[in-house]
Amino acid sequence: MRNLKAAAVLVLAGAMALSSCKIIKTPTSEEAAQAATGGFAPDRMVAEIWDSKVLPYLDKKAGPFPEVAALAASDPDAAGAKYGHKEKQGSAPWTFATRLSGTIVAAETKSRSAYVEVDADGDGKADARVQIGPAIRGTAIRDSLDFVNFNEFKNQIEWAQYGKAFNTHVNGLVLEKLSRDGLVGKKIEAVGAYPLPAKGQLPLVAPARLTVEG
Amino acid sequence: MKLTRRMTMAAFAAVLAASSAIPAYAVDLIAIITPSHDNPFFKAEAVGAEAKAKELGYETLVLVHDDDANKQSQLIDTAIGRGAKAIILDNAGSEASIAAVQKAKDAGVPSFLIDREINATGVAVSQIVSNNYQGAQLGAEEFVKLMGESGNYVELLGRESDLNAGIRSKGYHDVIDEYPEMKMVAQQSANWSQTEAYAKMETILQANPDIKGVISGNDTMAMGAIAALQAAGRKDVIVVGFDGSNDVRDSIKSGGIKATVLQPAYAQAQMAVQQAHEYITTGKKPVEEKQLMDCVLITSENADQLETFALTN
Repeated sequence: MRNLKAAAVLVLAGAMALSSCKIIKTPTSEEAAQAATGGFAPDRMVAEIWDSKVLPYLDKKAGPFPEVAALAASDPDAAGAKYGHKEKQGSAPWTFATRLSGTIVAAETKSRSAYVEVDADGDGKADARVQIGPAIRGTAIRDSLDFVNFNEFKNQIEWAQYGKAFNTHVNGLVLEKLSRDGLVGKKIEAVGAYPLPAKGQLPLVAPARLTVEG
Repeated sequence: MKLTRRMTMAAFAAVLAASSAIPAYAVDLIAIITPSHDNPFFKAEAVGAEAKAKELGYETLVLVHDDDANKQSQLIDTAIGRGAKAIILDNAGSEASIAAVQKAKDAGVPSFLIDREINATGVAVSQIVSNNYQGAQLGAEEFVKLMGESGNYVELLGRESDLNAGIRSKGYHDVIDEYPEMKMVAQQSANWSQTEAYAKMETILQANPDIKGVISGNDTMAMGAIAALQAAGRKDVIVVGFDGSNDVRDSIKSGGIKATVLQPAYAQAQMAVQQAHEYITTGKKPVEEKQLMDCVLITSENADQLETFALTN
């Protein structure tokens, strides 16, 4: 009886994890492979919501970087309520959605976790770092979305795979195509997300949209 | 004689009165069940939970399951039998523990999980766990930086039945594997144990003398690894742990281990007791069952502020 209940709970948890997947009629070999791994396919889950939900959400939620950064510094909760998201419980910091435009003043392209430093207010000094991959730190894109929730996943491992899938997606879609030469001095426009930085550290933005010109 | 008898009777009556009074005025009991206190992390959890429970006026029953799911099941029975109002549990396996927590629920005893989650929701009232993935990424990023993004390294894994062993390893590799010049030459489980890590490290070192770093799934294994490395005269090898124990703090301060990741164990345990108290007194559950607590990177820069799994300012 106990085992039956436990099994029922497991099935329920599985069903919840799957609830954001679309049901497709004819299974392909890829789907058959997913079925073999318990049906959890984070890369496909992300691909399915990227254009329809993720980008529209970020475009709408994102505030101009100088405004977000100023409010986050003086009143993180107010900035969070306006531009950000965090899980209702636990101790994760706010993750803010932002629209950043400015000039690249420095570029770290030797590291696999490459980034550019961006001057957003024209004083010549860096105000934020924008990650340009291929290794993207953290899970800011996932954490900025108010329509995904850890409690709907089986455990931390699936939640982590899901978070990583956003980074993989944006790397393949946007960052891999970015030329890494002569970045300094160019204009940059990005829409993305960053977690409330520790004191004295620059915001580290994970971009969802990125253009570099000039 | 008469007097003595009268006194005996009076004493007897008093004892009777007292004993019949106990159930009526008994203080509510909270059971606190964790793995062995040999690991200071679990001890800090138990101490934190016990202190909070006493502060809120509860009696406590502190038990250890030694990572044995059968023993855990017996301890849950004990807690149910003793009429515990709530169980604070750091469980003995993410799959094996579901049935035990369900059994307590069926008996009307709510469970509040800390540190380790179970692969089910709706069975425990809350699951307050460290964000092991976030913490592991912090540790791995520091490790990669210390290694200069290249070199041979060893990974020591935790106990396989513990989900946290898997999630930390995944967090490590999601970062480290992005660096093609970082090469893992050995990956072995030392089951969270210091002595096992010492023995494993000795063997690994003989087969792979050209290692530059060791990343460990927890602090006790990191302590075992650094001891073996130092015994072999290898003070050059970079060791990074996970937990934030005082032992590792002291090692960092004396130039041994290079970094660890603090899990707020003490605060987590106290938060679980607070939520248990809310539930017992008002019937209110937390808004979300699974709750993640962020971890903090500890290096020589902030090791001074670390004390018993909490950062002081």
